[in-house]
Parts: sequence; C-alpha cells; structure tokens
Amino acid sequence: MIHLFRVAKIYPPNHSALADIHLDIEKGEFVFITGPSGAGKTTLLKLLVRGEEATDGQIVVNGRNVGRLNARGIAALRQEIGLVFQEFKLLSTLTVLDNVALAAEVVGTPARESRKKAFSLLRELGLKDKHDARPPMLSGGEQQRVAIARALVNDPILVLADEPTGNLDAEVADETMRLFARIHERGTTIVIATHDTGLPKRFPYRTVFLQRGHLRSDPRYVAGAVP
Amino acid sequence: MKLSRIGFVFRRAFKSLRELLWTHVLTSGTMAMTLFIFGGFLLVQENLHGMLRGWGSRVQIFAYLDNRLAAAEVEPLVSRLSAYPEIESVRFVSQSEAWENFKKSLGSQSGVLEGLSADILPASLEIALKAGYRDHGALAGVAERIRAEKGVSEVEYPEEWMEKFTLLVVGIEWAKWIVGGFLLLATLLIVGNTVKLAILARTEEIEIMQLVGAPPGLIKMPFVIEGVIQGTLGAALSVLFLWLFFLLVRSQPAYALGVFIDRAQFRFLEPQSLTLLLVLGWAMGALGSLLSLRRFLQRW
Repeated sequence: MIHLFRVAKIYPPNHSALADIHLDIEKGEFVFITGPSGAGKTTLLKLLVRGEEATDGQIVVNGRNVGRLNARGIAALRQEIGLVFQEFKLLSTLTVLDNVALAAEVVGTPARESRKKAFSLLRELGLKDKHDARPPMLSGGEQQRVAIARALVNDPILVLADEPTGNLDAEVADETMRLFARIHERGTTIVIATHDTGLPKRFPYRTVFLQRGHLRSDPRYVAGAVP
Repeated sequence: MKLSRIGFVFRRAFKSLRELLWTHVLTSGTMAMTLFIFGGFLLVQENLHGMLRGWGSRVQIFAYLDNRLAAAEVEPLVSRLSAYPEIESVRFVSQSEAWENFKKSLGSQSGVLEGLSADILPASLEIALKAGYRDHGALAGVAERIRAEKGVSEVEYPEEWMEKFTLLVVGIEWAKWIVGGFLLLATLLIVGNTVKLAILARTEEIEIMQLVGAPPGLIKMPFVIEGVIQGTLGAALSVLFLWLFFLLVRSQPAYALGVFIDRAQFRFLEPQSLTLLLVLGWAMGALGSLLSLRRFLQRW
C-alpha cells in the first residue's frame, strides 16, 4: 500500500526533517508512527499525500508514484485517502452534516447522496443528534469523530491521522482509538502519527519510531489482541 | 465536468457572492464605469461611421473632360472607368446639360448668364464609388488613376473634409483602445483584488477542499464564475448607463447637438458592440480571478 525508498526531506536552508527513510506498509495494516515532537512524523504524513515534496527518494502510495503526480493526480490520490488532524480542521460556518458531505461532494457525489452518506456515517459514529450543530458547539471528542466521519465518507482505502488524540483527554482518546480499530477491522489501512508512546502500548499494533528524522526502529510486532 | 460538480461550483460561487455582496457590487460598479467609457467611444465611433457612410453614398468624383476630346472618345472612356472595381456608376454630363444645371442652380438670377456661350462649361463625368470604397484613402487612389486617364483635364472630390473626418474616426478608434485599454487593465487589477479577498475569506475551506481531493478545476471554477457574474452585471449596468446617456443626447434640441449629430440618424450601439461589452466584462472577470488564483492559491 505504502512504499518509501530512501526518502529524504530537507527544508531550506539546510534543515533535514527526514533522512534515508525506508518503510513498507501493506494493505490492511494498522501502523503507529511515533516519536517526539519535531521527529518528522507530520512531514512523513504530508509526503504521503504530496502536501510536501520529498527532496530525495521514491514514494509509492496505492500504486501511484507520488513524486510524479501533477495537480490532478494529487487530487485523485487524496480522494483515496482519508485524513484526520489533531486540530480537526472543520469549517465552523458549516453544520456537522455539511462538513462531512462537503468531502463527498468535491469528489463528484451528487449533493443529496452526499448528505445521505454523511448522515448515515454520523449515525454510525453516534453523532446523529448533532448533525445540525456547528462544530464549535461540540466537545473535542465529538469534533474528532466528525473529522473521522469526513475522512471515511469517500470509503478510503487508507486513513492517515496526524495526532488524532492530541487534543483529547485519555478516555476520549481511547474511545477514538477504538473507533480507528473498528475501521481497521473493515480492511482499511490505518497510519497514525502520535507522540503519545502510551497509545501503542494500549493498542498494540505495528509501531515505527522516528527520531530526528531517522527511522530508529520498526519492530513490526503486534502484541496482544486488538482491543 | 459532471453535472453534480457543476451544481456544486455554482452553489459555491453564489455563496461567495452573498457573503461578500458589497465588495462584489462595488467591483461590478467599477467594471460598469470602465465599460461605460469604452462603450461611449464605441457609440461615438459607430455614429461617425454611420454619418460617413451616409455622406459617402452622396460623395462623387467629378472628372472634367478636355474640350478637345472627341465625342466618339467619350464612350470608351466611360467604359474604361466603369470597369474599375471601385466604381459603381459613371454618368456623362454634356456641356449643354452642365449649362442647364448651372442655370437651374442660379434660379431667378440666371439672367446674369445672358450673352454667355453654353460651351464655357466643360463636359464632365459624375462618378459614384461602391460601398466599400467611399473612404478618403480609396477616393484619393481612384481620383489619382482617373486623373491619369487620357481626355480628363481635372478631377475634383471633397478631399479636405473627407480627410479630416476620416482622421477623426481613426483618432477615436485609437483613443478607444488606448484610454479603454488602460481602464480595462486597471479594472482587471480591481477584480483581482476582490477575488483575492474572496480567496482569503475562504482560505480554510479551500485548504480542506484540497485535503479531501478536490480537483484543481473544482476549486478554481467558483472564483472564475464569480468573476464572470461580476462582468455580466458590470456590462449590463454599463449598457443601461449608455442607453440613458443616448436618450439624454437625443433629447437635446438640434442646435445644442451641433452640426455633427443628426438626431434622426443618431443610433444606439449595434448588437456586435453590445456583445463586445459583454465579452469584455466576462474577460475582465475571468482573467482577474485567474490571475489572483495563480498568486494566492497555496497547496497544502
């Protein structure tokens, strides 16, 4: 699903954010990318959707050579990927339902069908009663669930989440992680970047550790059962 | 583009128009003023052209014939001139006809001609040009060639005023593009700034659309449509102002209009000029948007 070969990213003038990254993530895997702040986790996720361009190396995501994509190709790649962020990135001017439906509409789903799909997802994620609310009226956990609903509305084959529990308290964070686990059970590949080293302990999936832009360990272990 | 996407694009364009209503109205107003000035030039130019055409149909070249030209040589000369591609008709005016015409033009004072011989006036040819050749340049060229014909002693045509009038028309044509061009360019920048405001107001939304995989065209199109709607409104307003201006001018008493404007012949813009104003409005709107998009659309 994801293949990185000797990937490097240097920000001007000479700040190396990532160096010599080799990483393969297979279809249907659940992977944590951990490491302290500034280790290069967000940069790595951005490279996967061409939010940034790699300075060196090759990146292939779902059979697409990311470095060679033009603007339309980048859009097509992102349509196959669901993105979730620490700061939710929801539009406060739109209702919860419209926030989710927007993502379906931009990929060409008719407006009515987009809203139907969005509503059904919100119901599944326990947000049926909040569909008409504006995001600022919701709790952090609820907003993150809306963001996850938006990431799922186009039935992505891959979900990338950047610190999805960063703004949530421990209980809501675990609830959000269980939601990711449920999504993973359906066969969706999940990659989560987090600085919280406790998460891989509570949810023992494969964990990749980044430090100062270098891949320090990739134990490829799955210890214990999926919670 | 899919039908659902077209609906999406228009909904977003109208949403932005609503949200920044007054900014867009002011921009359309600026476009309307620019197009009004440009359309004003078009209006004057078209009417001068109309007058020129009207006068042109009455403009003739007079070729006075050499007195020594034998009667038998007139017919071949008429045939030769009639074969010119620019010439519509050639009419021979004999000395006696010229004399009669002259007498008629003097009316009751024709008595002053008594005692004069009827052959003091030369025979002549009255030459009318075809529609496409009634401007100053063509007239001068044809007159020159007629002058070189054997048997023609002198050629006359309303040279001086035709030249001045043609220069005036050309001057207005240039002024239209120079003044109009600067105004169009300035308005383009104003439209660009309005779109920049619209982009800044929707930075977050654009970023999210990019993240969820909106194709570049889908992000740009609403802004282009906003520009085109502004252009349409601007063009429509300018035509309304021009129409009011036209009515105002036409309602003036004849003496206030001077010799150049014949009220009965003063006409409003032709459909192709109205189309040009609309197309210019669209072009300003769409180009202004695209220029801003190039500068301000960032990729996540």
